[in-house]
Amino acid sequence: MSEHVDPYVIPSKKINCQRDLEKFLKSSTFQDIWNFILALNEAVRDKKTTAAVPQSSVVQSLVEQLNRLSDWIDDIPPIEQPMRFGNAAFRTWHKRLVENSRNLLEQVLPPQLHPSIVELAPYLEDSFGNSQRIDYGSGHEATFLAFMLCLKKIGASSESDAAALVFQVFGTYLKVTRKLQTVYKLEPAGSHGVWGLDDYAFLPFLWGSSQLYSHPEITPRSVLNDQVVELYKDDYLYIGAIHFIKQVKSGPFAEHSPYLYDISCITGGWPKANQGLLKMYQAEVWNKFPVIQHFLFGSLLPFD
Amino acid sequence: MTTLDYSIPSNTFTGPPSTLHTGTIKLENEEVERYLSQLLTESCKPLAEEEVKKLCDKAREFFIEESNVQPVSCPVTVCGDIHGQFHDLLELFKIGGNCPETNYLFLGDYVDRGYYSVEAVTALVCLKIRYPHRITILRGNHESRQITQVYGFYDECLRKYGNANVWKYFTDLFDYMPLTALIEGTIFCLHGGLSPSIDTLDQVRALDRVQEVPHEGPMCDLLWSDPDDRCGWGISPRGAGYTFGQDISEQFNRTNNLALIARAHQLVMEGYNWCHSQNVVTIFSAPNYCYRCGNQAGIMELDEYQQYTFLQFDPAPRRGEAQVTRRTPDYFL
Repeated sequence: MSEHVDPYVIPSKKINCQRDLEKFLKSSTFQDIWNFILALNEAVRDKKTTAAVPQSSVVQSLVEQLNRLSDWIDDIPPIEQPMRFGNAAFRTWHKRLVENSRNLLEQVLPPQLHPSIVELAPYLEDSFGNSQRIDYGSGHEATFLAFMLCLKKIGASSESDAAALVFQVFGTYLKVTRKLQTVYKLEPAGSHGVWGLDDYAFLPFLWGSSQLYSHPEITPRSVLNDQVVELYKDDYLYIGAIHFIKQVKSGPFAEHSPYLYDISCITGGWPKANQGLLKMYQAEVWNKFPVIQHFLFGSLLPFD
Repeated sequence: MTTLDYSIPSNTFTGPPSTLHTGTIKLENEEVERYLSQLLTESCKPLAEEEVKKLCDKAREFFIEESNVQPVSCPVTVCGDIHGQFHDLLELFKIGGNCPETNYLFLGDYVDRGYYSVEAVTALVCLKIRYPHRITILRGNHESRQITQVYGFYDECLRKYGNANVWKYFTDLFDYMPLTALIEGTIFCLHGGLSPSIDTLDQVRALDRVQEVPHEGPMCDLLWSDPDDRCGWGISPRGAGYTFGQDISEQFNRTNNLALIARAHQLVMEGYNWCHSQNVVTIFSAPNYCYRCGNQAGIMELDEYQQYTFLQFDPAPRRGEAQVTRRTPDYFL
């Protein structure tokens, strides 16, 4: 049942200065977002990505639609261009996303929820990178998180979908975004270089560490072992994210990823890692004006 | 004098013979050479905190004397962003020649993102002190207190020194770095790009540059703007500076009798990239940026006749283990 009563609106940016950000961080909207992150963190605890988890038909059809986005990448190959860096074919792909987002959501949502599409579509469109800058970063990932929260708020997904939202929906989203990054050479948006957790993503580390919470064999240190990473990359989002980094980055792991290296050496195992990543996620993503200034607010996630 | 694999031949040095007396801070050439050999060899060991302080105090005396539009003569080799990729800076000197046999002009962004910003900026500042007329070091948008607190240099200083003193010494020094350079009166060099508040080089010369990079205004624009395919001025998606079109570049070059604007600030796949019908060139000197981008690095060699040659290079093969310091981030304590 939908908890929503207000008419849907086209969401827009509301954070224009540090004070707006501080207001947002104290709001019930942020509390909702944070509780959602925590709920998903709990839902995947000690579960493999491949585990059989309950999923509604909305989740199933959303995964199908996300796979369509992946197929479009195959339809739209990178162009030969006098290249600065990012490939301009990404703009064509992104245009197709914007043109099809409503139709895509109509396939996913039952007809009585179609009025919400006006509000949901901009979140989806902003989840895959910026078409002008041809870049992608943790702000886009946060927008997809907001999109999933909106699905819950309109009643399209239920509490029992929580693990499937992470494994199926977010898992497929991750595959699409990694393919976009690689094929179109999306610049890391606002990357901190080696001084951030990762150039593009945060949530696979956060939720992935929860998946490994009480694992009897895999410890934070295991990520330094390439064989372990290869063996478990599809079972745990954290290991998969490490595997992806090792694929796309060259040079010593401890040097190009010092934070992940440090986490591999902490005492307290995965519970400590998970707790630390939660703190770090709020501090390095949600508390950062350059990232959150682009966040969208509407009737489901109101600013006021 | 210690010479390891980075040699500093004393017979080619054209500056004062033993001690630099230009200012009040006394720093022996031999001491600077010791710093350089400590940094520029495989050991790659950062200087002690007090040494960095002395170095920054000395370097300030040189920077303060330089113009906002610092004149530079040919031959000179122009280099773009380094971003803490210290081993690649060593490779740059292998490809372009050591200073002072080769004169250098660096266009800013020595720090942030890479693991070795401390080493990179320390080495460049040492070279500036040792060969002040052989190397020009401009300010980039990352040579700023605010930006370095977000993009890594601050974290790196804390990790390597256990406190923020070295970060403070360097960021205080950054305020004095010149904003732009002018090669033989015809090639205008700067980190970012043009500003709608600036039509002439004299307007650049008139800026009061000794301050933190402001959030807006001409000084900010020079360090933040980017050329764009669209004509005129545009809002920069970066949130600082502007985008400027070919019409703006052509007008600026005509007004100031310039042949070219050489700038850095943007990742370019080939290490250099012409735009605006060769009115503007972008130079980026950090190969395989952030260990992942797969780009080549570029530097622009100008001979004594101002003829340019672009040299490109890839990351140097690394020998030995990374010199990393393990530190549990506060979040995980």
